[in-house]
Amino acid sequence: MRLLVVHLFYAARSAIRGLWASPVTTGVALVTIAVSLVLVGAFGLLVTNMQGLLDRVGEDLRVTAYLEEGISDEDLKRLALLTQTVEGVASVETISKDDALRIFDERLGGRSGLLEGLEYNPLPASLEITLVESQRSVGGLRVVVESLDGLPGIEELSYGEEWVEGYARALSMIRGLGVGVACVLALATLLIVGNTIKLAVYARRDEIEILGLVGASRSFVRIPFLLEGFTQGTLAALMALGLLYILYRILTPSLAAGIELLMGHASPAFFSPFQMFLLVASGAFVGALGSAAAFVEGGRR
Amino acid sequence: MRREPPVTDPFVRMYHVSKSYMAGTFALHDVSLEVDRGEFVFLTGPSGAGKTTLLKLLFAAERPSEGQIILRGRNITRLREYGIPALRRRIGVVFQDFKLLGHRSVEENVGMALEVRGTPPREIRSRVFRVLKQVGLQHRRYHRAEALSGGEQQRVALARALVNDPELLLADEPTGNLDPELTLEIMDLIASAGARGTTVVVATHDLSLIDRYAKRTLHLEAGCVKRDAGAAAISA
Ligand SMILES: Nc1ncnc2c1ncn2[C@@H]1O[C@H](COP(=O)(O)OP(=O)(O)OP(=O)(O)O)[C@@H](O)[C@H]1O
Ligand SMILES: [Mg+2]
Repeated sequence: MRLLVVHLFYAARSAIRGLWASPVTTGVALVTIAVSLVLVGAFGLLVTNMQGLLDRVGEDLRVTAYLEEGISDEDLKRLALLTQTVEGVASVETISKDDALRIFDERLGGRSGLLEGLEYNPLPASLEITLVESQRSVGGLRVVVESLDGLPGIEELSYGEEWVEGYARALSMIRGLGVGVACVLALATLLIVGNTIKLAVYARRDEIEILGLVGASRSFVRIPFLLEGFTQGTLAALMALGLLYILYRILTPSLAAGIELLMGHASPAFFSPFQMFLLVASGAFVGALGSAAAFVEGGRR
Repeated sequence: MRREPPVTDPFVRMYHVSKSYMAGTFALHDVSLEVDRGEFVFLTGPSGAGKTTLLKLLFAAERPSEGQIILRGRNITRLREYGIPALRRRIGVVFQDFKLLGHRSVEENVGMALEVRGTPPREIRSRVFRVLKQVGLQHRRYHRAEALSGGEQQRVALARALVNDPELLLADEPTGNLDPELTLEIMDLIASAGARGTTVVVATHDLSLIDRYAKRTLHLEAGCVKRDAGAAAISA
């Protein structure tokens, strides 16, 4: 136990020495890693916020089933009951042709002269279907729509599909792009840290040689470098987090206005504490991994 | 202070050891020898005879191409990579080129040999002070090693080799570039370590040393032991 503490003390001292010994290299590495993490973090923020928006939109999702012309009242009732049994459906409201006409009339604000000339009612009867909470998502919606599709008497289903699906597609594209960018940047970070550590190993090759000659174990030599990579990753992630927060505070007011216009309500959120922890942890992990990789590649001693 | 020597087993035993860096040439060829615990041995011979190679084999910086090396009852030719550090912590080595870290203090340079074993900082300070006093450099312990003269650096290297109280002290041309006065100073320090019971092997070109100290001398030539003269034979 005591031995471990002493060894950790020497390793930490050696790592700090190493970071101080070449402040320019350390600084450049820190900034580069931080910028990578800012990009990854920005994608993360975009995706979480878009997802949140989509979830909220989901609450308003409903399906309108327009019915065939000339459907009898009896068939209509039966269809409504049948629809009610479809999994994922919460409620079904029947809107007859007359109702539809009345609603249309009301929407127009009583200037119904427009319709008076018609000899027949052109509006179809319909079912207004709301979904149970668990189905209120694009995926859930699609499942319900598929079950409804083909029920006898239903002419057409409408659920704002273009908009919802377009948005969902954009979201999954951005998410995919984000994952791709994150992978590329993680690799880049790995290389940057790996290279910094390789430089550090090279700069301290005399020390490493002598340590080996006086009986240092492999871990005694390597752990300080792992700590260095770990520290670099952690510091860079903290820097990135700070930078992201500043960007968030600067950009939110103008962005919120635009989003509000589009969606009705919006308040872009920053990372949750857990997400922040994840970002810092991944920075630390990539840092340590990068320095481990430097040794695997750089070989022995 | 020293451990009791176990019955009669020699401390170092080399059986038909050969070392070849390149196929077809031998740096050491079929060397067999024994060194007893507490013995003091000079290793001499012309340049390229294999002196450094022999020392390197003893602290596992190189592996023999053939043959076995037994050190304090352990076959070190079968040592795995992770077994090497423990071996080196029992051995003190003075390198011909000192191998000091110039920008570190004398104290840190000597202390390194103790840090690698996890000795706590406070204990290191006191042990380093004691050994620096032995070599007469305690007043320079906070100086950077590169600020010291060649002779002083040589003494720092010796202090580092002695600080962990080694069972075996290997010195490769420890007086290589020193004037006669410093040469004697260093050799006296090594000899006094030997007098305290440490087994000592010193590689040197300097025949005057061999005359002066009258110890067992192994003469290497082209990788072979040409002469193994005991202390008595030389002084006779
Ligand atoms: N790392 C190496 N790679 C290839 N050949 C080597 C290596 N080290 C030593 N040799 C060769 O092995 C032979 C013995 O070298 P060694 O250094 O042991 O001699 P030495 O007796 O210490 O010489 P010196 O008195 O000049 O220090 C020499 O011919 C040398 O060229
Ligand atoms: Mg030599």
